[in-house]
Amino acid sequence: MSKWRVVFSKMGMGKYISHLDLLRCFTRAIQRSGLPVVYSQGFNPHQKMTFSLPLPIGVTSECETVDIQFEDGLTSAEIQEKLNQNLPMDMKVLAVHEPTAKAADIVSAEYQMGAMTAGVVEKDALRKFFGSGEVLVTKKTKKKGEKQINLMDYLHAWEVEEVAEDGFKLRVVLDAGGERNLKPDILASAMGDFLENNDVSDWEIHRRKIFWKDEKGVQRIFD
Amino acid sequence: MYRAKLEQCLKRVQKPARYIGNEFNSVHKEWTPDMVSVAFCFPDVYEVGMSHLGMKILYHMLNDREDTVCERVFAPWDDMEQELRKEGIPLLSMESYVPIRDFDLVGFTLQYEMSYSNIVNMLDLAGIPLRAKERKREDAFVHCGGPCAYHAEPLSDLVDFFILGEGEEVNGEIVEIYKAWRDSGKSREEYLLEIAKLEGVYVPSFYDVTYNEDNTIASFEPNREGIPKQVKKRIIKDMDNTYIPEKLIVPFMETVHDRIMLELFRGCIRGCRFCQAGYIYRPVRERSVEKLLKVAENSIASTGYEEMSMTSLSTSDYTKLFELTDGLLALTVDKKINLSLPSLRVDNFSMELMEKVQKVKKSGLTFAPEAGTQRLRDVINKNVLEEDLMRTAKIAFSGGYNRIKLYFMLGLPTETEADVLGIGELAQKVIDAFYEIPKEERKGRSVSVTVSTSFFVPKPFTPFQWEPQNKISEMEDKARMLKESITNKKIVYNWHNSDVSFLEEVFAKGDRRLGEVLIAAQKLGCKFDGWTDFFDYEKWMEAFRICDIDPAFYAHRRMDLDEILPWDYADIGVSKEFLKKEYEKAYRGETTPSCREQCSGCGATQFRGGVCFE
Repeated sequence: MSKWRVVFSKMGMGKYISHLDLLRCFTRAIQRSGLPVVYSQGFNPHQKMTFSLPLPIGVTSECETVDIQFEDGLTSAEIQEKLNQNLPMDMKVLAVHEPTAKAADIVSAEYQMGAMTAGVVEKDALRKFFGSGEVLVTKKTKKKGEKQINLMDYLHAWEVEEVAEDGFKLRVVLDAGGERNLKPDILASAMGDFLENNDVSDWEIHRRKIFWKDEKGVQRIFD
Repeated sequence: MYRAKLEQCLKRVQKPARYIGNEFNSVHKEWTPDMVSVAFCFPDVYEVGMSHLGMKILYHMLNDREDTVCERVFAPWDDMEQELRKEGIPLLSMESYVPIRDFDLVGFTLQYEMSYSNIVNMLDLAGIPLRAKERKREDAFVHCGGPCAYHAEPLSDLVDFFILGEGEEVNGEIVEIYKAWRDSGKSREEYLLEIAKLEGVYVPSFYDVTYNEDNTIASFEPNREGIPKQVKKRIIKDMDNTYIPEKLIVPFMETVHDRIMLELFRGCIRGCRFCQAGYIYRPVRERSVEKLLKVAENSIASTGYEEMSMTSLSTSDYTKLFELTDGLLALTVDKKINLSLPSLRVDNFSMELMEKVQKVKKSGLTFAPEAGTQRLRDVINKNVLEEDLMRTAKIAFSGGYNRIKLYFMLGLPTETEADVLGIGELAQKVIDAFYEIPKEERKGRSVSVTVSTSFFVPKPFTPFQWEPQNKISEMEDKARMLKESITNKKIVYNWHNSDVSFLEEVFAKGDRRLGEVLIAAQKLGCKFDGWTDFFDYEKWMEAFRICDIDPAFYAHRRMDLDEILPWDYADIGVSKEFLKKEYEKAYRGETTPSCREQCSGCGATQFRGGVCFE
């Protein structure tokens, strides 16, 4: 058997599909496709499938990955074609290749964040936010607790892509993965508080890239 | 135009996946002006509605027509409803986010009485006038189908027409007539007059009802030429040659019945006297094994579901069950698809059958003796003997099961203290049966029996339709008595207080005067009455007070065998005379054989199909 990494996008209304529902959605798409998937042994056999980095609800993405084990003899083109015939319309396989890195080595992710605002937000105001050095927020931890964190410790890069009359667009790179992870909506809500006079009414958040680290340094999971 | 606003609401509600649509196999059509648009509304939340086979059939059937677009609508959960109202968004369809009020035909399926308040609430959210007489030519036609449509007089003032019986044929016919009417410039009434000629269509505004001083019905008569006194239900005679969808929608979120539902047959041969389904779906009509295997194979390929259930009223009565099960196992085992068999009967349960379903996954076993003593089981014509249950329990225990669930009803006609206590005694006998099996033959170390009771709701079109319902307090006393009588820790007894049963009876047997109560209740905030977190008995009582109507009149009165019943407009094919005979036999404790043992002359032979001609 051989393991394949499937890179896919999750767009449109698909952003409201939870991680658990996504898992079920892929299981059924694979079953429909007739691709020879490998099942786990045991009392309740399930398809051997691992998603790398869960996507928060409400965020679209063009860089999601799932590793699936198939019987030998398939080509990447065949897997891509059959999955695309069987996935719901908001999900699309963009590439299939052999896994190049482990999910545990994911270090960061790039997001595009678009805000809808009541008036113009000047670039200076955004610079002031990112330049403030410390933005404290309360973050829920895995063990049902809460802790205070400084958002800026999780921020690798930021850039203002566009400022318009009714909003602005940012590009940010945030810590991601099992070790340290910041959900973009936490950043969005902190910015909303900071820009309170501009009345941020809605955010469109999109994950563009995932980065991982190996002996060669930080790499992109998919170009 | 509402999509962007809707999206913002989705970010603020729990479970947004209820509202997004776009599931695999959902149908997205380009709307053209010549098309007839049908909004198929399920008056409950998405995960309940998407578990319903009938909706799936009609949705795909209508969308297979080139001249029709059918889109789904579910009741928004309370959090979403508040968002919609706050943002001024009307109720939208799931596929194209089109306001429901812009559809030509707005259909609701009536699966249970406690969803009626949701229908009113959905009409209100849609901005459709609540009363049929308030609707103008350009407004949608509101219609209802499903099992409750046979006795949905409480909705009569709110609904333009009802469809009685199975919808595979008649829904296409009403679309055809709509197309001709739309461009004719004729009035709303003329459309209704046209479709009233179809068998299975009941237009309540074409009937006048008068009442006696004691509130019973004095007359129920057509008020137009050519309108039948009674409307006969529609049925599909040949179950192999009717529309069966094979590309079923596969939801993202988990639904109540999240699996392929393979419909083996319609109807039930048994004739349990409390069971409405046993009468309204007559006669029994089976699908052939060949057809079912073909449908199963295609459904597996098109859905990818990991579970398949054989759904019918009494699945184990399927005449070729073993042959079918073998065929289905051949299709499912390699694909790790779990095959489940609901609604097993105690009297024909066998080791062989149990082993077949066990091949994939073992789950708990549930049986429904319904009553605690043989006397009462004879009254309700539940032809299950204690020996059958004990034999079955032993088979199950030897086969490795050690948990059995038993279902009963409290408040059945003629019930005595002995019958109530008999429930606990029967459960104890099941426990004893476990220990009668030699230790080395039984698999589990211990055994547990879960007993559940529900309160009996006498339903129209059953021999008990004339019966009053026990008062809720009486049934609660019975439940408490039973609870106290059960001392064995291996027996778990569940029951819940349920004023809902009373309301269910009122709306099951109510007349069209209750329409205003429904409207008043919706204004007071009644909705999702089938959900304990929402059901508010006090609000309902307030609605009855506002309308000056006594609900006890409908629930607690023994109806006269000769009085005009609010549901006499519907002809289900089973005669009232037959139901009366069954009622009398019940009181004599006499049972009636199943349709396969002997024809009892219920009247369903007139449909010229199914078990009557096997």
